[in-house]
Amino acid sequence: MEVGWGEVDGRPVLVVRATRTGGLPAGGEVPAHVYATDSRRDAAGRAGPSMGGRWSELEGGRALAFVPRFPFLPATSYTVVPVSGDGAPVEIVAPPVGGPASTRVVSIDPSGPVVPRNLLRIYITFSAPMSEGRASRHLRVERDESGEVLEHVLLPLDPELWDPGRRRLTVLLDPARIKRGLAPHRDAGYPLETGRTVRLVVDAALSDAAGRPLQEGAVAVFAVGTDLRGRVRPERWQLEPPRAGARDALVVRFDRPLDRPLTERCVTVAGVTGRGRAALDGRSWSFVPDAPWALGTVVVTVDPILEDIAGNSVARVFDRDLSIPDDDPLEPVRAVPLEVALRPASAP
Amino acid sequence: MGVTSGEQGFVRGDTGIESVGSLAFGPGDVLFVADSKRAKVVAIDVADPSTEAATGPFDLSDVDRALAGYLGCDAADVAIRDLSVHPRTGNVYLSVTRGAGDAGQPVLIRVDRAEGTISDVDLHDVSFSEADLVDAPAADDPRQDFHLGEGEWHEFGDRKIQIARVPVRLSAVTDLAYVDGAVLVAGMSNEEFSSTFRRIPFPFTGEHASTGLEIFHVAHGQWETAAPIRTFLPYQDGTSILASYTCTPLVHFPMTDLQAGGHAKGRTVAELGAGNQPLDIVSFQQDGAEHLLVSHTTHPLMKIACADIDKQDGLTHPQEPRGVPRTLPDLTGVSLMANLDGDHILALQADDSGVRNLRTLKTASL
Repeated sequence: MEVGWGEVDGRPVLVVRATRTGGLPAGGEVPAHVYATDSRRDAAGRAGPSMGGRWSELEGGRALAFVPRFPFLPATSYTVVPVSGDGAPVEIVAPPVGGPASTRVVSIDPSGPVVPRNLLRIYITFSAPMSEGRASRHLRVERDESGEVLEHVLLPLDPELWDPGRRRLTVLLDPARIKRGLAPHRDAGYPLETGRTVRLVVDAALSDAAGRPLQEGAVAVFAVGTDLRGRVRPERWQLEPPRAGARDALVVRFDRPLDRPLTERCVTVAGVTGRGRAALDGRSWSFVPDAPWALGTVVVTVDPILEDIAGNSVARVFDRDLSIPDDDPLEPVRAVPLEVALRPASAP
Repeated sequence: MGVTSGEQGFVRGDTGIESVGSLAFGPGDVLFVADSKRAKVVAIDVADPSTEAATGPFDLSDVDRALAGYLGCDAADVAIRDLSVHPRTGNVYLSVTRGAGDAGQPVLIRVDRAEGTISDVDLHDVSFSEADLVDAPAADDPRQDFHLGEGEWHEFGDRKIQIARVPVRLSAVTDLAYVDGAVLVAGMSNEEFSSTFRRIPFPFTGEHASTGLEIFHVAHGQWETAAPIRTFLPYQDGTSILASYTCTPLVHFPMTDLQAGGHAKGRTVAELGAGNQPLDIVSFQQDGAEHLLVSHTTHPLMKIACADIDKQDGLTHPQEPRGVPRTLPDLTGVSLMANLDGDHILALQADDSGVRNLRTLKTASL
C-alpha cells in the first residue's frame, strides 16, 4: 500500500494506492486504520482508538482517501496500519506550514528604560495574530548582568490574556509578590529589585497563528527604580491648549507613566470626534480632532479606571494602606472632567 | 444551517463557538460553556444519550493521549481546559482545545462512564442559547467612540456633556457556576486589574441583564486590594462563595452581596505561600458536614471544613498556618476536579513523569 497526501474539498486527506504487493480492498471495506503516531499507544503501551473519519474513492476507485473527522495537523506524524494482508504500518508526516517566518515583536510596553519596582503589567505586541496557550514557555525574565533567569516573576496565566485580534499579549508580574501585606510578598519580596537591571526575553520559538516561529526573538531591558504610589491625579496633569480654527493636537502631559492601552481607552475629549494617541513612553496623550477646533473651551474626560503602570487608578490605589487617608478611594464617579480653554487663532 | 426554535430561547444550529473554557452544568441537560474569544457564555443542550446514572469510581489513564487518539493529534496538541460531570448520567465532559493558532479547534468531549468510550458533542449542530458578557469588547477595535452618544448627561459649568463609562474588558473567563437560576461568571481583563463578577439570569433573555460586583479583600487589617478571581465555588446551598484570586488568598463572601451589586468586601480566610496558585475548588460532605477541597499549582490538595470558615474572623495577623485549619492530604499533581457523585470526586492528576490520569478520590478517605 502506497500512502501520500492529497486534498478533498480543500482539506488535506491521506491517499492510499495499491502496489504490486498490496491491493486495495473492494466493496467499500476499510483499507487501513489511521493514528497520530504519538497517540497510537498510551504511556503503558496499550493501543488507543484510531482516528475517526471516512474513506472515499478517488480516481475512479484506483485510490482511496481518508477524510478525518478532525483535520490533520501540520508537521504531525501519522501512522497508517493496513487492515489486512502483510502490509507494514506506514509513517507519514503532514506537510509543515509553508513560507518563511515573518511575524515579529512590534513593541514591548512599558518602553522603559526605568520601570517602578511595583510594575504590574507588560504588553507584548506582535505584527500578526499569534497562537494562544504556549506563551509562558517562551517568556522569561533574566538579570541583565548575569543572564540568571529569575523565577516566579511573571504570573503563569491559563487562559492567557490576549486582545481580540490575538496580536497583543498581556503579562502580569506576580501580583501576590507586589501587594504589601500578603504572605507571598512577605516571604519572597517584590518580583523586581530596585537598582537592578533586568530583561524580558521573548523566544523566537513562540508561534504565530499559522504555527511559524517568530522572525527573531525580542528583548526589553528595564532598569528597576523606586515604587510608584498613590492614585493617578488628573488635576496634576499639564494641558497644552491648541489654537482655535486649526487641527493642532491637544496635548496632555502626565506626571507619571500611565498604562498606554488604558490611556487610549479612558482619555477623550467630550463631544469632539478625532483620534487620541498615547505616547510610547506613556507620559502624554495627544488628540487630533477630525474638524478644526472651535473657539471656546473643551472638556477632556478621564475614566477613573485609568491606571498607571503599577496598577494605581484614578479611583483607587493598587494596594491601599488603610492607615493613609490619601489612599482612600474616590467615590464612584463617571468621569473626571478637565477644562481646556482653546487659544485664539491669532495667538503665537 | 438548519435552525429550529426551541424552549427557553434555544435554537438548533451552529454555535459558532471559537474557544471552549470553563464548564458548569445547569438544569436538565444544559451545559454552560465559556467562549472567551467571543466573550459569550453558551448554554448547550448536550442531549446526553445515557438513560441510567453511572455509579462508582471512574478512571482513565493517560487521558491526554487517549483524547489525542480520538482527536488524531499528538498528546502535546491536547489542552484540557475544564472538567464537569453530568449530574443525571454521571458522564464526564471535558472542554479541550486541539492544536493551536489557525489550526486550533475547540472540542467538547463526552466520556461515557459505563462504556469508557470517548465521543464529542457536535458544536456545529446542537441546540443552544447564548449570552453576551456585558461590557465585553467588540471583536473589531472596541475603542472607537464608546464615550459619545450613549452615556449619561453631566452638567459642567453652563454646559451639559454626555459621558459614558469605558466598558470593562473581559478577555478571559476564569470560572463559571450555576446557582438558583443564574450563571455566575468570573473573568479577567487584559487591561484593567479588576475583580468584576457577573450574574446572568438563565434562561438567557438576550438582554444585558447581568449585574457586576467588585470584591475587595483585606490583608491583616491593614491593606485593602482588589484582584481578578481565578476560581470560585458557591457552597452551603449557594448562600456562600469561596473565591481565590490571582494574588492567592482564599476569600469568603456571602451570595447576598453579589445580588446587591456594587462593591463588597470579602473576608480573607486563608493565605497561601509564594509561587503557588489555586486551580480549582469542589465541595463534599463528610460525616454530615460540608468540606471544601482546593487544588493548587504547587501545593498538594487542601481540605477545609466549611464550619471553620464560618468560625474564623478575617485574617488580621500573620500566623502559621495562615488561616483556617486545614489538612494536606498526601495528594499532589491534582489540577481540575468535579463531583462524580456523593461519595466520589473526579480529579485530573499528573504523576511524577507528568502523565495525567483521570482518577477517583473517595470522599470518605479524604
